[in-house]
Amino acid sequence: MILRYTFQRLLMLIPVSFSISVVIFMIVYLLPGDPIDNLLRVGSSAEDRAELVARYGLDRSLFVQYFVWIGNMFRGEFGDAIVLRRPVADLVAQNLPYSLTLGGLAFLFSSTVGMALGTISAIVRQPVLDRLMRGFILLGSTVPGFWLALLLILFFSVNLGWFPVSGAGGWQALVLPVLTIGFGGVALVARVTRVALLDAQREDFVTLLHAKGLSSGTILFRHLMPHALLPVVTILALRIGWILGGAVTVEFVFGRPGLGSLLIRALGQRDYPVVQACLLMLALAVMLGTLIGDVAQAAMDPRIREKKS
Amino acid sequence: MRYSTKTQLLTGSAIVAAGLLLSSNAMAQDVTIAFSASELGATAYNPVAASNLNTATSLIYDRLVEQDADQSYHPHLATAWEETPDGMAWTFTLLDGVTFHDDTPFNAEAVQTWIASYAGTENEYLVEAIGSVDVIDDLTVRFNMDRPEPNLLYNLASAFMGVPSPTAYAALGEDFGVTAAVGTGPYELQSFEIGLETVLVRNEDYIWGSDLSENTGPGHIETFTFREIPDQSTAFLELRTGGIDLLLGVPTDFLQILEAEANIQVIQMPGTGISYMPINVTAPPFDDIRVRQATSMAIDQDSIVAAVYGGVGAPARNFLISSLPEADVNPSLNIMYDPARAGELLDEAGWMMGDDGVRVKDGERLSVDLFTANSTEFTRLTQVVQAQLAEIGMEATITVFDSSTIRDEYRRNAHQLAVRAYDWNNSDILDWFFSGNRLGYPNVSMWEDAEGQRLNDVAMTESATAAERIANFTAYHEYVLSQHLFVPIYQPTQNIAFNSTRISVPDPVRGSRFRQQSFMDIQIVE
Repeated sequence: MILRYTFQRLLMLIPVSFSISVVIFMIVYLLPGDPIDNLLRVGSSAEDRAELVARYGLDRSLFVQYFVWIGNMFRGEFGDAIVLRRPVADLVAQNLPYSLTLGGLAFLFSSTVGMALGTISAIVRQPVLDRLMRGFILLGSTVPGFWLALLLILFFSVNLGWFPVSGAGGWQALVLPVLTIGFGGVALVARVTRVALLDAQREDFVTLLHAKGLSSGTILFRHLMPHALLPVVTILALRIGWILGGAVTVEFVFGRPGLGSLLIRALGQRDYPVVQACLLMLALAVMLGTLIGDVAQAAMDPRIREKKS
Repeated sequence: MRYSTKTQLLTGSAIVAAGLLLSSNAMAQDVTIAFSASELGATAYNPVAASNLNTATSLIYDRLVEQDADQSYHPHLATAWEETPDGMAWTFTLLDGVTFHDDTPFNAEAVQTWIASYAGTENEYLVEAIGSVDVIDDLTVRFNMDRPEPNLLYNLASAFMGVPSPTAYAALGEDFGVTAAVGTGPYELQSFEIGLETVLVRNEDYIWGSDLSENTGPGHIETFTFREIPDQSTAFLELRTGGIDLLLGVPTDFLQILEAEANIQVIQMPGTGISYMPINVTAPPFDDIRVRQATSMAIDQDSIVAAVYGGVGAPARNFLISSLPEADVNPSLNIMYDPARAGELLDEAGWMMGDDGVRVKDGERLSVDLFTANSTEFTRLTQVVQAQLAEIGMEATITVFDSSTIRDEYRRNAHQLAVRAYDWNNSDILDWFFSGNRLGYPNVSMWEDAEGQRLNDVAMTESATAAERIANFTAYHEYVLSQHLFVPIYQPTQNIAFNSTRISVPDPVRGSRFRQQSFMDIQIVE
């Protein structure tokens, strides 16, 4: 049953991927400016420019360029970067591990800490703690990443000297970026967990469980948690895209390599093949995240897979 | 049990302490540098084929010729050179006893192979005028020219003309400069992670530094680690906390903050470009030369240097940096602040002062567009320019674009005035920005003029010797100035900041940029 559902969801990804590829391709070309300007040197003639435009196939119609590009994508050929002059696959392969590490840890951090905080605030239900919690949640969802990054650097690196200011050397260099990206997630997950647990506590079956004499702990972990996890999983799945997107500015501030840094650099130079590859990776991550979330939900809640199949 | 835990703890601490001691000893000879923002993102240490090279390149490779801050040329791998009077042949004598990092010899044959390797690359223009290279003997080469190239020494001193080992270059192909980079320079490439860091180790055999360094080799420092930090604030904090020892390319805005730090010292050297405001001569009212001249007299370069740049740098009076001989034009052509004369010129052109301080002609207000690119320094400068234009009754509206978009705007001929900058220490920049063959961009002034093009062609193609080239470019430069196509504003400095409790850096800096010759003289002070 769950396999069939997964298969159906995978099939649905095909039209979605197609639309995304069109959007990614068009966005890049509709941006003003082009990569050739970044290749010209003092003294280049108009002919030099035309030659470069032709060399990279930028003189062909958009339609033809799109099909050449998508054809290459199917064969797994990302081509060569125009300005950065390296195979795009190499550039992505060099940067992806940094992004995955950072994103993965930030995801882990925001889900575990967020769920713990949400649970505490749902069961303790003290007005002061509750207000603190809500303040934290508001702060976490609104503070911009690059600003938080600078604050964390000032406090933990400059004043306390605990962590390096920037770079990617060792685990110490990961702490502040993970905190920066994870902070917003912690707040969000905490909020959703808290609401879901509070809602679940009001259900009739909880009263029944209490009446049966079960301990609060058993009720919370055995009965309430699975119930409350459903919306949390949804939020976490959607969060994957957000984390990768948020990493773009955070990587920049912390001087870390990664897809975000690569994307910013390539975008400034209009290095089309690199921008497209980075955007495609980010889009794929979001799609996969959503898919995993949906499948996990279906696995947890039979109603979902039955309704849809 | 308790005892054994304690012993373990003690032993552990001892090991950690020993480790720290060892690592601090190892660290002592290691200097960490952050690249300037403009040189980030190099993907290969390949002078022949790369489009973007950073400062570390200059430590891996030596050049035949070096250029000093006063733009004079100094011998390096070439000890002497001679040009025939017609400019059709150059003979270079090469330094004896030089070897590449792979122990192959540097000689006439290596130069011949190296020059040939530019064929078909985008850097080919550097050697385009060289028809063939003859090996006269092991240490003498002759370049037979297809046409005179009085700019040859400038090209040879460029970062793109570092000499790689022909053997390694042929063996590594596309990977040259990525997995390994082999030159004759004072440092060897140990590791290179694109976008993150480059580690260079001392070439112990190096004894052939140029006369621009006090130390001709080997280098004082064992290891140079170059880091890429895109965010300027982060780079500054790294310098403050000791994460890096040297920061290349400090933005002028940061100078005051840096100077307040006790352990940080700043060195300024002359810049290699200017900030200026091109005027679109095809967009009314700037099709009237009197309006252009008035605009150029409205900008008070001295007050901009003082107010925007805190007195650092110099005012620009014409299109070239002051150290170039072609910048030495007839003084009456230099562009100076004169608001009274600007007012007279606008009156003559029919633009009369209105009640609200904005000039009017035939019911039309003197309102213009002022474009700029999105960086803090540009935005501030543009706001001051806007205020100064208002003083002569010109109302300018600022629009900010990103650097790629703004070039499209120029090509669409959608602009009137713009604030921009260039970085290039050669007079052929005049051809780049004012040739009628490149209207829109780079010829943002949209200037097409028969006499201008004639002078340009003479300067670019008919100069046989360096002296002739200087005379021809000066004439062209003077003509450009007489047409009021732009307003020169500012000559920035190149700023380098370093941790003075850790290292000492030579000051004043020799060379046109802070590169190999200066790194050779960096020393640890601890």
